[in-house]
Amino acid sequence: MTSPTLTVAASASHATKTYGKNEGVVHALDNVSVEFYAGQFTAIMGPSGSGKSTLMHCIAGLDELTSGSAVIDDVDLSTLNDKALTQLRREKIGFIFQSFNLVPTLTADENIRLPLLLGNQKGDEQWIQRVISTVHLNDRLTHRPSELSGGQQQRVAVARALASRPRIILADEPTGNLDSTTGSEILKFMRMAVDELNQTIVMVTHDPVAAAYADRIVFLADGKVAGEMLEPTAEKVLDRMKSLGN
Amino acid sequence: MFRIALKSILGRKARLVLTSLAVILGTAFLSGTSVFSATLNRTFDNLFQDVFKNIDGYVRSTQVVEGDFGLIERQRIPADVVDKVREVPGVSDAVPDIQAFARIVGKDGKPIGSEGAGPPTFGSVAVEFEGALWTITDGRFPNGPNDVALDEASAEKAGYVVGDTVKVVAQAGSREFTLVGIASYGDVRSPGGATFALFDVPTAAEFLGKPGFVDAILVVGDGTRSDEQLAADIDAMFDPDQKIETLTGAEITKETQDDIGQALSFFSIFLTIFSVIALGVGSFVIYNVFSISAAQRQKENALLRALGANRGQITRSMLIESVVVGLFGSLAGFLGGIGISKLLSVALPAIGFEIPSGGLVVNTSILTTTVIVGLAVTVFSAVLPARRAGKVPPLAAMRATAIETAGPGRTRLAWGLGCIALGVAVIVAVVTGASNNLLGFGIVFVFVGTIVLGPALARPVALFLGRPAERLRGVTGSMARQNAARNPKRTSRTSAPVLIGVALVTAVSALAASINGQISDIFTEQFKGDYAISTSAQGFGGLSPDLAASLSGIDGVDDATGIGTVLTRIDGKGRTLTVITPETIGGNFDIGLVDADYSVLDKNGILVSRSLAERDGLEKGAVIPVTFGDGITRDLTVRAVYENDDLAGNRVINRESFAGTTVSSFDFAVYVKLDKGADSARVRADLQKAVDEYGQGKLLSKDEYIDEQAGQVNQLLGLIYGLLFLSVIIAVVGIIITLLLSVFERQREIGLLRAVGMTKSQVRTTVRWESVITSLLGAVLGIVLGVGLGWVIVFALRDQGLTSFEVPLDSTVFIMIMSFVVGVLAAVYPAWRATKVDMLDALNTN
Repeated sequence: MTSPTLTVAASASHATKTYGKNEGVVHALDNVSVEFYAGQFTAIMGPSGSGKSTLMHCIAGLDELTSGSAVIDDVDLSTLNDKALTQLRREKIGFIFQSFNLVPTLTADENIRLPLLLGNQKGDEQWIQRVISTVHLNDRLTHRPSELSGGQQQRVAVARALASRPRIILADEPTGNLDSTTGSEILKFMRMAVDELNQTIVMVTHDPVAAAYADRIVFLADGKVAGEMLEPTAEKVLDRMKSLGN
Repeated sequence: MFRIALKSILGRKARLVLTSLAVILGTAFLSGTSVFSATLNRTFDNLFQDVFKNIDGYVRSTQVVEGDFGLIERQRIPADVVDKVREVPGVSDAVPDIQAFARIVGKDGKPIGSEGAGPPTFGSVAVEFEGALWTITDGRFPNGPNDVALDEASAEKAGYVVGDTVKVVAQAGSREFTLVGIASYGDVRSPGGATFALFDVPTAAEFLGKPGFVDAILVVGDGTRSDEQLAADIDAMFDPDQKIETLTGAEITKETQDDIGQALSFFSIFLTIFSVIALGVGSFVIYNVFSISAAQRQKENALLRALGANRGQITRSMLIESVVVGLFGSLAGFLGGIGISKLLSVALPAIGFEIPSGGLVVNTSILTTTVIVGLAVTVFSAVLPARRAGKVPPLAAMRATAIETAGPGRTRLAWGLGCIALGVAVIVAVVTGASNNLLGFGIVFVFVGTIVLGPALARPVALFLGRPAERLRGVTGSMARQNAARNPKRTSRTSAPVLIGVALVTAVSALAASINGQISDIFTEQFKGDYAISTSAQGFGGLSPDLAASLSGIDGVDDATGIGTVLTRIDGKGRTLTVITPETIGGNFDIGLVDADYSVLDKNGILVSRSLAERDGLEKGAVIPVTFGDGITRDLTVRAVYENDDLAGNRVINRESFAGTTVSSFDFAVYVKLDKGADSARVRADLQKAVDEYGQGKLLSKDEYIDEQAGQVNQLLGLIYGLLFLSVIIAVVGIIITLLLSVFERQREIGLLRAVGMTKSQVRTTVRWESVITSLLGAVLGIVLGVGLGWVIVFALRDQGLTSFEVPLDSTVFIMIMSFVVGVLAAVYPAWRATKVDMLDALNTN
């Protein structure tokens, strides 16, 4: 299933996350083991309540697992305190959320550099300029989020996720709030980041069209891994989703 | 709609508590001071009721000289009147009463009780008598020229026990007595914290007042007739020209109660003024909270509008909320007020202000007033936000976020600038000659204008003030700076309480600094002595006129001269005259006599200031009839005119004018000029010895004396600072509330920042700097306004002789540092709350 030449950027092993107690207990994640490879665009798919967002939050260090472990860059997240986790998010992870990605008081440029600024780091200026021109934001840098369109805002978010050259970029429904044209534009940028800038992206989505941009899809259902798909197309994904009972 | 409003309130208990907090603070102080005043009044009422309960009649002179600030000097009556009173049928017993200035000197040689500022120090009479005011708790009544009794509290404070030798200072000088008894006044150890040295009648008359004269006569009837009848019978014994009147026991009780009530009312008026300031500042906080909550509920309100609620319903629902908040806050404030007054009644005795025991007076009228005022202020503060909430278009429900983005509108700019322009115009008019009375309007207009303009100023000033934060803290500082500037209206409303408090403090400081500088200049110019013995007892008591004479005898002293005051009546008005000794004053005090020296002032003469001479058309040779405290009118002839009325006032007379009469007069200072070439250090030591022996007054060198006089203003300042501290507390609470609401509003933003790598300490830094910038914004604008206000006040007082204006630099620096600290402190809790924001919650609320 996995090619031996690939390196693991992040992984979860026997990841379990439960809410509630006794009879009312809900398994958001039930013994999930999965690896995400460097230089790949992976999509996590599944119906609502399948645990895909929870999995991503736990890998991101935004949420804690009940048992099992989440590892980024060979570091077990459960061994880190809040400060170290924050530093890890800042330096090793890039985030793209569905909406409200940007700090309204900062300019586009400041938003892009936010993780670097927070860490008091200069970053690689050449790289940042390359990222900015890749997402075509050169003429929008001094604007504040309220002056940008939804698509432009998500492009800023993509650029921010790339700016610090993180080990892995985690995207949670990045196109969920966009129309299909703008959405596909963003997905193309993400694809480009993997192909041309050699980045690693893990994206949570329920949209087969979005998932089709990925190299590999991991399916989740009822908190369990329900299979994988390589070189997906929208039709194949749709069929598979139907079988998952979506 | 009512149910929706109630649900909305109960659904947000935290906000209810926060909003109420501002109401609670304002009303707590109001009700606290009311309860305290009422309690104080009643306990004193009870005290005098108790003290006079056995007195049926009170005989005294009808002649009174009234001075400024409610000072009264009642003429004394001959001591033998008591014999005549005793003969009146129905009188069981009668004893004389005397009450005058006296200070008890402690074992350390220093007088007991604070000078000037504290409760008064009295000498009085204690005799065994049916209707006695004083009861002896240890030892016996004084009986003889060497006996003294002390009130319990003073005796305890000084550590005196029966048998000790006690030095007492009074008008006749200082003298040592043997302590024979400890006395209490009713059931109080010392009424109001005053100190009492008690003597038998002849000793009191001779030592405190004038031999052969007493202040009044206390009468006890034998019960055969009513008090009214008794009083009439006593009155019938005297000719009308003896000017003697008799009050019944009830009348003197009532009068004493009213007098103390009046004295206490100054106190409560003072406290009320600060309650009003506190409430005013609090209303800003309330207004701010309602505005923010209206903005945060914009979507909710828009949804209601879209579903069919009309404007009025939205507005009313918010007003209903304000009524609930107002009621809840005022009731809690009332309870808090009881706590405050309890605290006051514990704290005041601790600083030496003894209060008669008795429970707190909590009545329904205080409760009603508190609730009505609290409710009115709250609802009034909520009217504008409620109206604005009603105006929200239904479409706003569909919009993304509810942030007040609107910049300052043209109307706002126009109104703000208009108000300021009008205010400045009025002030300019006053400066160029219009009546001073208009000044208040000018100041109010400028204040209102500044506050209206606040939102327009908030953004640029906050951005400017935030620069250092950005440079110091990088992106967190930058975000703090932008956060402070992002809602200019909110920021300006939050900083308004700081602005008001700082403006008031700055203005008062500017005034004090100016007065301070002026006093220094005046003393430097007019005080020519080398040393001064100073006492701060103003208006009541002071140094015995004998002190100056005794200092003159010291080797190396050229002249020691006493400067005193005497209360008189001129043209029916109470006037305080300056009393000097022409023979010794020459080298000590320069009042700028025109073409004359002090020797022209004989016992039938008077010196008048140039300003008075010009006002009343007085020339050399004019005659002024002056009625003294003994009821006798003396015609005094103007001998010369002088220039410097800053210290000497408008009229100066010779001590000889009333020598040997019952008129009481004290020196407030003795000035000492040394012989040329005298050994200053040795003379100072000798002077110090003499002053110590006397037991009262402070020996100061010329420079020390000038500093002390100029520094007196600072005492007043301390008091005002203390009370304005309250508005600072409310300002802090206002900042805390706003920050909490902002943190709540920015949960998603904070969650996002945490997700992309902001540490908790960086979150705290951001909130803290936003708070500091907001606080500094208020401080900077407040200082600008306060300095302006101070200048205007100083200018308005130019006729009172205030000619130079000084910017209170050190206070300004202090205020800036304090507002920085205030910002940091106010941010502690909101910053902590901000770190508790749940990242997942924040990110999931899509």
